[in-house]
Amino acid sequence: MSGSSRRGFFRELAEAAAEAVREVQGAREEPEPQPQLSDADMDRYSRQLLLPEWSEAAQLALREASVLVVGAGALASPAAAYLAGAGVGRLGIVDSDVVEISNLPRQHLHFTPDAGQPKVESAAAKLRFLNPDVLVETYQVWLDDGNAAALVEGNDLVVDCSDSFDTRYNVNAACCDAGVPLVEGGVVGWSGLVMAIRPGETACYRCAFPDPPAPGSVPTCAEAGVLGPAAGVIGSLQALEALKLLTGTGTPVVDAFLQVDLADHASVRVAVGRRPGCPGCGHPTL
Amino acid sequence: MTRTLDITGLRCPMTWVRTKLELERMAPGEALDVQCPPGEALENVPRSAQEAGHEVRVEGTTVRIVRA
Repeated sequence: MSGSSRRGFFRELAEAAAEAVREVQGAREEPEPQPQLSDADMDRYSRQLLLPEWSEAAQLALREASVLVVGAGALASPAAAYLAGAGVGRLGIVDSDVVEISNLPRQHLHFTPDAGQPKVESAAAKLRFLNPDVLVETYQVWLDDGNAAALVEGNDLVVDCSDSFDTRYNVNAACCDAGVPLVEGGVVGWSGLVMAIRPGETACYRCAFPDPPAPGSVPTCAEAGVLGPAAGVIGSLQALEALKLLTGTGTPVVDAFLQVDLADHASVRVAVGRRPGCPGCGHPTL
Repeated sequence: MTRTLDITGLRCPMTWVRTKLELERMAPGEALDVQCPPGEALENVPRSAQEAGHEVRVEGTTVRIVRA
């Protein structure tokens, strides 16, 4: 992880301040108390803390985590909301767009009065309302190969909730370069896919999909349409995978992607290996 | 030395949540005496602790748990 990681940013700041005070006072070095959840945290997160697989350590790991969500639309609405609700410490949201009425059937972070507002601001307001303990930061920009590295830097995980193949490949490249885990997702019509990626360890998006589709060959949601709950399912799966990667619980969909068809509930888990010579993750050629 | 945890002021499910977190903070083999409020908790806490694999004994309103 890069030295400028924001992981535990505020805790490190507080520790540095406490250390400075100790030095000034000439106090004896005392062992650091282990961080613990407050009573308020225990109450808020009680239903996930009840899970045998979950623990205080997992919850604290979430609190220390910085996550970047690329997009503030149909996939990001469930993904960002679940991550904020679960107690991620810091959430960055990237989207250059403004809210439109046609977004509302499936983009539940936005409401009718938000029409015309920047999507990142509309989303951030709801997320902060949902969980005031989460630091939500907004980036009203279009992610491209010029800014992807800077946006990804300092995060412990990226969730790609964009609806553009260009963005997907740029996010994959930036995450692979920085070694930051990535949860990919996409939806159109009634179906979508989810893939978890640990760069340098497991297959990256480009290992699975080496080349972007030919222009015009895959319709966008604006062209083909999308059903709200389908996007809700995929975005929720992205949040689930993100929580698994951040806390080490469950089994993330790595070296594979889930292809989910919600028209008839035919779901397929497609195994993918790291591709030799992959330009995305730099896996050596055979 | 046995740790004690007073959960008499809590309502389910916070009774087991608080107990579970205390157990996570302990080493295997350590014992915890949980002072329970009467009623639901005296059923839920021992059952949940047993399901989690810990050794449990109930004495009145105290649930003694040996962390697995």
